[in-house]
Amino acid sequence: MIGVVSYLVFFTTVAAILGIAVMGLNLQWGNTGLFNGGVVASFGAGAYATLMLGGPPQDGHVGGFGLVYPLALAGGMLAAGILAWIVGKLTLRLRHDYLAIATFGVAVAFENVMRNATTITGGAQGIRGFERPLRAMLGDGFTYNVVFLVGVLVTLVLVYVFLERLTVSPFGRMLRAIREDETAARSLGKAPDRIRLISFVTGSVIIGLAGGLYGTFYAFVSPQDVLPILTFQIWAMLIVGGAGNTKGALAGAFIIWGAWTFSGWALSRFAPIEAQLYTGSIQFVLIGLVIVGMLLWRPQGLFPERLVVSQPGQNREKTQAEGFT
Amino acid sequence: MKKLLTLAAFAAGMSGLSVSAHAQDCTTKVGAVLPTSVDWGRPIAEVAQFAVDQVNEAGGAAGCKIEMVLRDTQVDPKVGVDAAKALVDLEGVNVLLGAVSSGVSMPILTSVTAPGGVMQMSCCSSSTAFTKLSEEGKTNGLWFRTFATTAVQSAMGAKVASDKGYKSVAILYKNDDWGQDMARLIAADFAAAGIEVTGSVAINDAQPSYRAEVTEALGGSPDAIYLALYPNEGTSAVREWISLGGTQNMILANSLKSDEFRDNVGLQYLENALGTDTASPRVASADAFKAAYVEKFGSEPNGPGLANSFDAAMIALLAMEAAGANASGADIAAAVAKVTDPDGAPITADVAGVTAAKETLAGGGTVKYQGATGDVRFDANGDVSAPAVIWKFTDSGTDEVEYLSLGEVDAFIASLKK
Repeated sequence: MIGVVSYLVFFTTVAAILGIAVMGLNLQWGNTGLFNGGVVASFGAGAYATLMLGGPPQDGHVGGFGLVYPLALAGGMLAAGILAWIVGKLTLRLRHDYLAIATFGVAVAFENVMRNATTITGGAQGIRGFERPLRAMLGDGFTYNVVFLVGVLVTLVLVYVFLERLTVSPFGRMLRAIREDETAARSLGKAPDRIRLISFVTGSVIIGLAGGLYGTFYAFVSPQDVLPILTFQIWAMLIVGGAGNTKGALAGAFIIWGAWTFSGWALSRFAPIEAQLYTGSIQFVLIGLVIVGMLLWRPQGLFPERLVVSQPGQNREKTQAEGFT
Repeated sequence: MKKLLTLAAFAAGMSGLSVSAHAQDCTTKVGAVLPTSVDWGRPIAEVAQFAVDQVNEAGGAAGCKIEMVLRDTQVDPKVGVDAAKALVDLEGVNVLLGAVSSGVSMPILTSVTAPGGVMQMSCCSSSTAFTKLSEEGKTNGLWFRTFATTAVQSAMGAKVASDKGYKSVAILYKNDDWGQDMARLIAADFAAAGIEVTGSVAINDAQPSYRAEVTEALGGSPDAIYLALYPNEGTSAVREWISLGGTQNMILANSLKSDEFRDNVGLQYLENALGTDTASPRVASADAFKAAYVEKFGSEPNGPGLANSFDAAMIALLAMEAAGANASGADIAAAVAKVTDPDGAPITADVAGVTAAKETLAGGGTVKYQGATGDVRFDANGDVSAPAVIWKFTDSGTDEVEYLSLGEVDAFIASLKK
C-alpha cells in the first residue's frame, strides 16, 4: 500500500511539473496564438541554469556556483527568459507555421549546444551531483518526495492563479485580440509586436520554471532530457486538455502523462508474455491513437476555451463551439 | 527457508536433475527497464529474459521462481525513471536491470534506486560519470555494470594501431556520452603510444549525409581511421569515407561488431579492418553461452550489449540466491562479491552452472562466475575490467586475431600510463 502511495506521489510530482510547462505554453499558444515549437529550449534552459547555479563545483565544466536554491531556480527562470527574449526578437514577426519551424530549430540547436559544449554543460554526460534542497534535513526517501510534491503543488497553484488573473485582465483581452485579428488590434492603438514578445517571454519563463523543478527533482540533466519528444509531449497535453483554458492545460498534463505511464504499466502487467518485448512499440501506437482520436472527435480539447465578453451590465458566455471564435 | 534451500540444492545435486519442485511455490520479481521500442534494445531484453529462464530451469533463486517485469524506457529519461519507480513501488522489486543509455540510467540511480535501496545493474551504460558518482559515495554500493569501462576498449585500439605501425590516425565518434568518452580516452591513448591524432570528428545520429564530417577527418590524411560508432551511422560514414578515397585501414570499437554493418559496407572493404572487444576467457562457459544463444535465437550473439545483458541478469540473480530469502537490495548488492569472487569455485553461465553455484553457496562457499563476457570482477565502484580480443570480419561473422588475458590487458594499460 505504501508502495502505491509512494508511486502516486512520484507520479503527481512529475505530472505537476509538466502541468506548469503546459500552462506556460497555453499562455503562448492558447491565449496569444504563438506556435512555439521549441518548448524544450526554455525547459532545458531552466533545468541547466538551475543545476549549474545551484550545484557543487565540478571539474570538467563550468557551473557549480552553489547558490542557495531559490536563487538558483530564479536564475533558471531568468535564463529561460533571456533565451526567449533573444529568440522572440528574432522570430516573432513570423506567423504560425513559420514561427513553429523557427522555434523548433532553436530547440534542436539548443540540444546540440548542450551536447557539444562539453566544457560548459558537461556534454553528453550531463550535469550531475546536484544537492537537492533540504535533503540534509529530510533524507532521500518518501518524506522528501512528499515535501517536494507540496512545494511543486504550491508553485503550480501560484502559476495557475497568476495566469487566471492575467487572462481575465485587460492585458489578457489584448492577447486574445491580437490572436484573433492583429490588424484590428493595431488599429485600436495596440502594439502587437511588443505584446507578443511579452507573452512569449512570460510563457517561456514559466516553462523554464518547470524545467528548473524537473532538474531539481532528478538532480540530473543531460541532453537526453531536451530531445524534441518533450516538445511533442507538452503539445499533446495542451491539445488534449484544451488550448486557451488553463484548467484544460493542467488536466491535459495529468491525463496524457497518466496515459503515457499507465499504458506502460498496464502492458507490462497484463500483456501476454510473448508480447512483452513489443509493449514499447504498442505503447507508442496507443498514445498516437489517443491524440489522433482527440483531434478527430474533439479538436477543441476536453476543456474548451470559455470566452467571456465583458460589457457593462451583462456577462454573456459563449464557447467556441457556438461559432464564437 | 534456508533449510528448504539446502534441501533443494542437495536434492538437485544428488539426482543430477536441475528442476526442484520446491522452488516453484513462490515468485520473486525483478525489474528490467530497457529500451524495447528501439531495434537494438529488444535483443538486449530478450537475452536478459533468457538468463532468467535458465535460472528458473535450475530452480529459481533464493527458493523462488523469478519473474522479470520488463518496462520500456523509450530512451526517454522521464519515461525510464517513471518505469523504474513503478517497478520499485508497485511491483516491489529489489533488483533493477538497466538501463542502456547512461542518460537514463543516471537519473534512475540518483532519484530511484540509490534513495530506495534497490540494487541496479546495467548491461550497457558506459559513462565515466558513474565511476565519479561512486567515488563520491553517492551510489551506496548499489550500482554495478557489466559493460567494461571504455578504458579497456580504447587501450586495445591504441595497441592495434601501434602493432600495425600506423603513424597517424583520425577518429570518428558517435556524439553521445559513450562516444565522447571513447574519443577522449582513445586520443589520450594514441598520444601515449606515440601516434598522432590528425582529427577527431563527432558523428550525430540520423543525418542524411556525413560528407562534411568525413571530409574534415580526411583533411589530415591519416594512415588509419578509428571508428567509435554504431552500425547505422557507422555504415553511412564508412561508405562516404571509402568513396571519398579514405584509407581502408580501420580500427573498430565493439559496437560495430555486427553482421548488418559488415553486409551494408561490404566485406571487400573491410579486409584491413580490425576490431577490438572485451573477450570471453578460454573457458567452457563462454562457448556454452554462444551455443545456447545460437540454439535459442538462431544466430550468433552479434549485437551491442548482448553478452553484457546476459551477465548482468545472471549475476543479479546469483547474488539474490547468495543473499537468501527476503534480502533487501543492499543485501543483494553486498552478495555480488560472493558470486564474483576470484578465489571462488568457478561456475559456468548455464543451467548446470547455476545449479552448481546454488550448491556451493548453500554450503557457505563463494563462486567465481565465468560468464559470457568473461571472469566478471567488479571493483569498488561497480566497474568491470575484462580480457580483450582483437577481431576481424569474415564471411560468416567474425574471427579472432589475437586474445589478451586480463593480466595482459592490465599490463598494456599500465604501459600506456607510464
